[in-house]
Amino acid sequence: MAAPLTLVLVLAVTIRAVLFRSSLAELISERVEVVSPLNAWKRVVEGLALLDLGVSPYSGDVFHETPLIIYLFHFVVDYAEIVFMIADGITAVCLYLAVQNYNKNVFRKQKYALEADRYPHDCLELMRSPREMHYIPLKVAMFYLLNPFTILSCVAKSTCGLNNAVIALFILSTLKGSALLSAIFLALATYQSIYPLTLFAPALLFLLQRLYIPVNLCRSSFWFFTLQYAFMFVGSLVVIVCLSFFLLGSWDFIPSVYGFILSVPDLTPNIGLFWYFFAEMFEHFRFFFICVFQINIFFYTIPLSIKLKEHPVFLIFMQIAIISIFKSYPTVGDIALYMAFLPAWSHLYRFLRNIFLVSCVLLACSALFPVLWHLWIYAGSANSNFYYAITLLFNVGQILLVSDYFYAYLRREHHLSQGLYLRRKDGSEATLVLK
Amino acid sequence: DWKSNLLTSTQFFNSGHTNNWAVLVCTSRFWFNYRHVANVLSVYRSVKRLGIPDSHIVLMLADDMACNHRNPKPATVFSHKNMELNVYGDDVEVDYRGYEVTVENFLRVLTGRLPPSTPRSKRLLSDDRSNILIYLTGHGGNGFLKFQDSEEISNVELADAFEQMWQKRRYNELLFIIDTCQGASMYERFYSPNIMALASSQVGEDSLSHQPDLAIGVHLMDRYTFYLLEFLEDIHPASQANMNDLFKVCPKSQCVSTPGHRTDLFLRDPRSVLITDFFGSVRKVEITREAVNLTSAAEQPSEPLSYVDQLPVAEIIHQKPKQKDWHPPDGFILGLWTLILLVFFKTYGIKHLKHIF
Repeated sequence: MAAPLTLVLVLAVTIRAVLFRSSLAELISERVEVVSPLNAWKRVVEGLALLDLGVSPYSGDVFHETPLIIYLFHFVVDYAEIVFMIADGITAVCLYLAVQNYNKNVFRKQKYALEADRYPHDCLELMRSPREMHYIPLKVAMFYLLNPFTILSCVAKSTCGLNNAVIALFILSTLKGSALLSAIFLALATYQSIYPLTLFAPALLFLLQRLYIPVNLCRSSFWFFTLQYAFMFVGSLVVIVCLSFFLLGSWDFIPSVYGFILSVPDLTPNIGLFWYFFAEMFEHFRFFFICVFQINIFFYTIPLSIKLKEHPVFLIFMQIAIISIFKSYPTVGDIALYMAFLPAWSHLYRFLRNIFLVSCVLLACSALFPVLWHLWIYAGSANSNFYYAITLLFNVGQILLVSDYFYAYLRREHHLSQGLYLRRKDGSEATLVLK
Repeated sequence: DWKSNLLTSTQFFNSGHTNNWAVLVCTSRFWFNYRHVANVLSVYRSVKRLGIPDSHIVLMLADDMACNHRNPKPATVFSHKNMELNVYGDDVEVDYRGYEVTVENFLRVLTGRLPPSTPRSKRLLSDDRSNILIYLTGHGGNGFLKFQDSEEISNVELADAFEQMWQKRRYNELLFIIDTCQGASMYERFYSPNIMALASSQVGEDSLSHQPDLAIGVHLMDRYTFYLLEFLEDIHPASQANMNDLFKVCPKSQCVSTPGHRTDLFLRDPRSVLITDFFGSVRKVEITREAVNLTSAAEQPSEPLSYVDQLPVAEIIHQKPKQKDWHPPDGFILGLWTLILLVFFKTYGIKHLKHIF
């Protein structure tokens, strides 16, 4: 499988190189859907220029990336395009290896369950075969690399690509079972934007599952491992934060990065839900609604972890999707990351209900974003309501997509335990209704 | 002899100013301050006669005397009794009138910081080759000039405005004339180069008006500007009269107050400065039949221009600090790579080390 992967990588690099050299690069790097105040390349360059002038890059509301990004780009700013292409490549390769590993595990578990005869007899058509699972990792890598969202994000040189690379490395190290590496990459991802903190729960669940520690709050082995992992995570986070302090010699970056993400002062329109709402907010209620919106993201972790206790990888997918829908400054790069996982759940196809609707909504909204932006900003014949309506619709489409996959996944699990053709007690056919 | 007529390229490139501007301000309103409007209009008339066009004059009149209902001779403003000279004429273009003459607008005109919607006629569009004449008249005191009977501009503000103009290269040379009581106090705080200032009276003295007209009922002109106008009436565009003559205008015997002037900030010798350098719009045109060799190297200026505390021009204009490249501190690099190595060896086992060594 290395050869097709290499081919896909080469193709992806070609497309990005072609776009970098064309005049579209300038155009794309200014689109608000692709870059946000957090990860715009223009701001990184601005921050580095301020640093060369002897001023802290966090002075003024320009630069909101972490000091480690400064360190990285201080040396490679001339080769930025190559760095972002490499980041995309790393993400794709990590996702490839992770999904390959995951598929092996899934197939192994399925084999053991079949041998133990735990599935009802009419579920055989739901069984996954190595033949269908063979090309899934390649498809995952392809979905990530050739997704127009990823390409746009890479050509715009948005640091979202780097964030995706770190999260992909985290997923790979979790699926390989290395607790230390997974904690370190999770700490790096959290350090860059706070929201990957919610990925702590699925990673913990996966590692517990792998070590055969039952998730039981009374058991000491559970707490022992949880504390170990939490200690590693918090420790590496503290080390990274202190290291950033030593880079620039000041704690400026904490209000500039984390304060910025959490308090959302910049209301430039993007594809998220925060900007329009807070543009109209009275000062009086602003703090309350900021708390509500931010808690919203972290809130889904606990119910989802309880429900998807045995399926932590799907939980990772759900969490990443929730982060990229509800975060304060989402961009299309975040969406590309969870969309890359969709081929891994291609076996759920028969249970998905909203494919047509979701794909139409997502396609139409992606096409309408630049149109309505032009109408609003340049032609002046629309206003922010138009753009926000499309933003809302886009997010509703994404939520429909995620919840559809969730439903399909749970339904398959249900069928695996209860049988495919459901019968009521009196023998007549029953239908499954999602309440 | 053609050799003596041959122009050297240095003379050719030796430029002083290339355009002239005038900012003429009358700051008083009410009928009994007729003379201040007449002052400004007489300077306006001279300046226009000597060649500065209306597009290069910013005329600010705080009140309208010509059409004032108390004017027995409407549409006229006279400077001499017996109505010899109507300085209003039929070709006056007032840029700021009435209540638009405020300290803020005056300072904005000088510094150029006007809103984008301001029309060109209300802007001082000077550049670094402009010679600007600034004439102020009205009621003043020790260190201030009263605007419209409700606000005042101080000599410090004025000096700072001129410094802003210098820093933004909005003038080549500036001639500042003020005809108010204690006018010399207004120029004592100047600190920018290339400013020459004249005032009608010293600190502690009042500037007096010239003569009332019994038909119109008010004093028509101030003494200093009256004699200034008389002096300027003899100037024509080809005149070679210089600043030293201007300093002699209105001696104490005629003016009762002692006119003052300040030339220490001015780089050229006042004797070499022509009146028409400021009051007129004289273009230096020389007709020649011989070819001028422009490619010979121009000589360096003999000594750098200097005045008290002058910064070199490069520092004033560019103000760019030296580019020092930022490097991450060594401790950081050491710490980071130590950690990375530690993690690497923890993950992959220390036993691999012996394969390396």
